[in-house]
Amino acid sequence: MKQSARILFSTLSLAASAFALSTSLGLAQTPDTCVTGVDMATLGPKGIVGQGPHGEKAASPDELKLTDEEAAKVKAGKFKVGISMQTVNLDWSQLQVQGISETLAKYGVTVTGVASAEYQVDKQIADIENTIQQHPDGIISIPVDFTATAPTYKKVGEAGIKLVFMDSIPVGLESPKDFASMISADSQGNGQIAATILASCMPKGGTIGLVNFGVDYFSTNERTKGVSEWMKKNRPDIIMKQVDFTDPSKVSQIAGDFLTGNPDVKGLFAVWDQPALDTLSSMRAQGIDIPIATVDLGLQSAIEIAKGGPLKATGSQRPYDQGVAEALAMMKALIGQPTPAWVGVQSLPVVQSNVLESFKTVFHKDPPAELVDACNSAKPKCN
Amino acid sequence: MTDTQNPAKAAASQPSGRSALRHLLQGERPYMLYVAFVVMLIVFSLASPWFLSIDNFLNIGRQTTLVSIIAVGMTFVIISRQIDLSVASTLALSGMSASLAMAFVANSWVVGAVAGLGTGALIGLLNGVLTTRLEIPSFLVTLGTLSGARGLALMVTNTKPVIITNEHYFAIFGEGSVLGIPAPILWTLGVTTSGILLLHYSVYGRRVYAAGGNPTAALYSGVHIKQVTTLAFVLTGTLAGLASLILSARSHAARPDVVQGMELDVIASVILGGCSLFGGRGFVLGTLLGSLIIGTLNNGLVLLGVSSSLQLVIKGAIIVAAVAFTRR
Repeated sequence: MKQSARILFSTLSLAASAFALSTSLGLAQTPDTCVTGVDMATLGPKGIVGQGPHGEKAASPDELKLTDEEAAKVKAGKFKVGISMQTVNLDWSQLQVQGISETLAKYGVTVTGVASAEYQVDKQIADIENTIQQHPDGIISIPVDFTATAPTYKKVGEAGIKLVFMDSIPVGLESPKDFASMISADSQGNGQIAATILASCMPKGGTIGLVNFGVDYFSTNERTKGVSEWMKKNRPDIIMKQVDFTDPSKVSQIAGDFLTGNPDVKGLFAVWDQPALDTLSSMRAQGIDIPIATVDLGLQSAIEIAKGGPLKATGSQRPYDQGVAEALAMMKALIGQPTPAWVGVQSLPVVQSNVLESFKTVFHKDPPAELVDACNSAKPKCN
Repeated sequence: MTDTQNPAKAAASQPSGRSALRHLLQGERPYMLYVAFVVMLIVFSLASPWFLSIDNFLNIGRQTTLVSIIAVGMTFVIISRQIDLSVASTLALSGMSASLAMAFVANSWVVGAVAGLGTGALIGLLNGVLTTRLEIPSFLVTLGTLSGARGLALMVTNTKPVIITNEHYFAIFGEGSVLGIPAPILWTLGVTTSGILLLHYSVYGRRVYAAGGNPTAALYSGVHIKQVTTLAFVLTGTLAGLASLILSARSHAARPDVVQGMELDVIASVILGGCSLFGGRGFVLGTLLGSLIIGTLNNGLVLLGVSSSLQLVIKGAIIVAAVAFTRR
């Protein structure tokens, strides 16, 4: 045993020395110019940039406000509404549900239940079928899949139940025949915000990497499209490379390999905040410090932005406000009022200097102590 | 192969790192996995200019850390004729324990480490006790803890991540390095070395082989199979706890929804590395090689720009081919 152990440890020591001698020292660093030169007052689109899934023009959430007369009708109706989510395991989902539930409650509408499909098509189909059995007056839902869930969503309309979608519409469903409204964030607009900040960090002729969701999904497609179209129009000198992931749990590995295979990449866009954080985890492991921009705001991404590390910015959705709009659209539909086919909710640029205020705007509550502490440590850049 | 009628002989016949080389030189099929690995390295080196570099090998090492570490424990479990499906959930719950302990008890890396490792060990103990004392098949027991531990992890923080702020914790488990070797790789080397010594050079290791190779004979030989098996589960749980510390240190947070389905990668690494699902046969170095083969495949295919869908097809085909080839 002693001899074997000696051989083993000698081998390990030799390997350690070889690695130590050969590890590269020249690692990419975030440039000092990052985010400077961006006019925060004009950052982000002033209106809705993108179009709906069928090329619809965006309506404003303001169009959904209920008149006093409409509000009285809703209250008198004693309606019941079910919610079917793709997951409830995200701040985004929880804020949507909160926005929907609180708004419906104001008008006396009961939420019969919140089903979570955990991203599984068959579970969502079962969830919706079960919800139909509860005979609600309406269902608000985000489809896990465009195609497989379509026949089930058609059953909702056939059962005389009003339907409002968040973010996507299943294939073949048309408004107003099959559903009342689809409410989503302006994903292209959010992509543009990320692109604007990322471009400010990039030298002329630099290369950026797009860490893209390789599944055909309307809102994520729109985000990457927003970035690439903005770059082509405003910074044609920037070279774009793309890597796709289909399994969100593999992002850390895929992004790490992408950076190894493309050492010219000096900035990254990740399609939502968790892939951005997983990319950041991989960068930390490799000792790489290049700017990242993303879409969506969660507590951890807010803290990373507040600290002033590689995560520079996000174009945030306003999921609570989106939930409010979904509830209002549903109530309009329940009392027989016409509703717009697509309602877009304005993007929100979040950078280090406005992260506390943005957190309040998005989450409708004061920032937690962790975020405040991170911001205080980075003063005066964070406030 | 293992003599299932004679545990002592079975234990003695198990390969160590040194004897593995001898078997390889003799051209024995299980050891051709080493050849397959080298062929894979050559193919990827020729196909991608970025593959053959120290940075990239460090990349592969870091990315396989979690699977490699847990797979060492799983090797003990599978050799002792059991299975542990709960490792990914154990990792998630252990990470939550570590981060919550640092948030509410003391912001010290020691507190975090004790909480994370302790949680992993406790789940392992639960798996072991239910399997050996109540004689419920480990497949069912660990299927239950897979669900229960994940549910608990999601429940304790209402599905939200718990932020970690301890710089020592980040350095020790995630971002630090010694002589240029990243901390996660050092942990992998340490665990693998300890696993080799424990399995191949200790009395406990011989008992694990005996328990899995022929439980009846082992029992008559005085091996306390229930204790041996329970300890294998505790070891695996503890290593899942260690993996959780590494993952959460790299992410600066613990998340309850991490590494779902990772148990399949862990089991695949162990089987690919030459371990028998029917117990009594396997070795730690093979397991490490199994995880490195899977990690290298992941890495090489991404570097070659293969689409993520095609990656899954190629990986599946290569893994099945490799196992089939080495088992003939």
